[in-house]
Amino acid sequence: MPNIGRSFHNLWTVFKHEFSVYFISPIIYWIGAGWLCLAGVFYSNSLGFYNQGTYEVSMSSLFSPMAFLTIFIAPALTMRLLAEEVHAGTHELLFTAPVRDWEVVVGKWLASWAVMSSFILVTFLHAGLLIWRGSPNIAVMITGYIGLWLVCGATLAIGVFASSLSQYQLVSFMISMGTLVLLWVAGAVSSLISNSLLSEAINQLTITNHYHNTMLNLGLVDPIDVAYFVGVMALFLFLATQILGTRRWRA
Amino acid sequence: MIQVEGLTKYYGPHKAIDSLSFHADAGEIVGFLGPNGAGKTTTMRILTGYMPPSEGRATIAGFDVFEQSLEARGRIGYLPETVPLYKELTVWQYVDYMAALRGMGNPGRAERVDEVLDRVGMLDRADSLIDSLSKGMRQRVGLAQAIVHKPDVLILDEPTIGLDPRQVREVRELIREVGEHRTVLLSTHILSEVSQLCSRILIINNGQIVAEDSPATLSNRLQDTTRYFLHIGNATPKEVAKAIRGVAGVSEVYPTEEGVEIVADSQIDPRPAVTATIVQKSWDLLELRHVDMSLEDIFLQLTTDEAVAEEED
Repeated sequence: MPNIGRSFHNLWTVFKHEFSVYFISPIIYWIGAGWLCLAGVFYSNSLGFYNQGTYEVSMSSLFSPMAFLTIFIAPALTMRLLAEEVHAGTHELLFTAPVRDWEVVVGKWLASWAVMSSFILVTFLHAGLLIWRGSPNIAVMITGYIGLWLVCGATLAIGVFASSLSQYQLVSFMISMGTLVLLWVAGAVSSLISNSLLSEAINQLTITNHYHNTMLNLGLVDPIDVAYFVGVMALFLFLATQILGTRRWRA
Repeated sequence: MIQVEGLTKYYGPHKAIDSLSFHADAGEIVGFLGPNGAGKTTTMRILTGYMPPSEGRATIAGFDVFEQSLEARGRIGYLPETVPLYKELTVWQYVDYMAALRGMGNPGRAERVDEVLDRVGMLDRADSLIDSLSKGMRQRVGLAQAIVHKPDVLILDEPTIGLDPRQVREVRELIREVGEHRTVLLSTHILSEVSQLCSRILIINNGQIVAEDSPATLSNRLQDTTRYFLHIGNATPKEVAKAIRGVAGVSEVYPTEEGVEIVADSQIDPRPAVTATIVQKSWDLLELRHVDMSLEDIFLQLTTDEAVAEEED
């Protein structure tokens, strides 16, 4: 088998397995329902304002809490992925199968992203209703979706990385949640720093800066923002792969 | 098929295995015998590409387990000591996933999974959740995943540990069957297991190979001293021991709680003289049997021999 075909086969195998395992446990439906309901409460409250006619009709009041809640949802979805393999001892077969570490990491991450994407699909219902009953800006809606999807991918990558650090799911959950909280609040911290270079650097690290300011509210897709999200995904998936590599040496 | 040269592994300052060298050819079942902590699992983990050696090299079918890891790993079927199972999957899903991970494509994979499950006698439980299986069944499922991709080399770490006697026999039978056309490296600490299954035995202790031979040669070598167990009805073990000490062919006598253990000298069979003594004393002979050397005894023997040799040096 040529290399690319083989990698594709391995990725697909890991992806398919992980995706189906997600839906074995009923907990996944609770996570999905919690995410959608909580964000939905914010959204339906904001619809009241639209009724008064003072605001432009938009889905940003749904996307914004959904993006924020990834702080909890992404760690919950990813904490099991690598930690449980080690905990249950199944990693011994996984890492002695002719599969590369990165294929395992990326396959698992793609599965978690697919699960989150399937939750996002449910919100098409909201979009349909809004288009039917109102006249939202379609461009802003589309970029809002793209941005939310990228936020999910990036936060899940951080979760996969955290899952590689420990064999205990709870520890992985705490690590990724902590990291995500930092990435959300860093912007607030940056305004307190007088050094403008440092302040701007911290600002550039925050998720809100790359989602809310452009894709969510303005309908713009700035290549820099896309590069930020893709960069976060690549960095943390790379780190997770490296951590798996060191496990072999540490034994 | 398996070629190991000067394999060494350090865990920090601790040397888990020390310049191990051996080979196993196609169609051979090699037994890897040793007490816990001897380095069996470490060696197997290096061979399967789970972790790299500190020094030395190992090849599987000519592929270096570290440099050409993927090629080597693709030719190995591995059953770790604690069978790693995804408990939330069904038997069929699990074996299918393992087959796919080993690179098997779909035309043919489903049939092969059925075939393998049939072979290990688990086809009727194919749709059961692994979580609901007994230990013996899990072991069989573990064996199924190890052979599903038709590997050249099978590496089995204590495959019969924790099974009941009937299951042990079944699993041994299976290993013998699947070992007919491939190379099997099997670790165990049960001597009878290797003598029944293996064509060659490697005894490993403290990370070093202390003996390597066929089961027959090895047991002959260890039969230099023979033990018997004697049980007398109407006399205490102490009395019996006293009476038997010094009888022709008896070199040592140990009274135990139930009876007497006799260490014989290899030249003369002590049994005729011992029974004669018992008859003379008009005791009731309830039992006189040969005691098989346990692995423990062999180890004691091998390691003490070595210690003596070292002292002489």
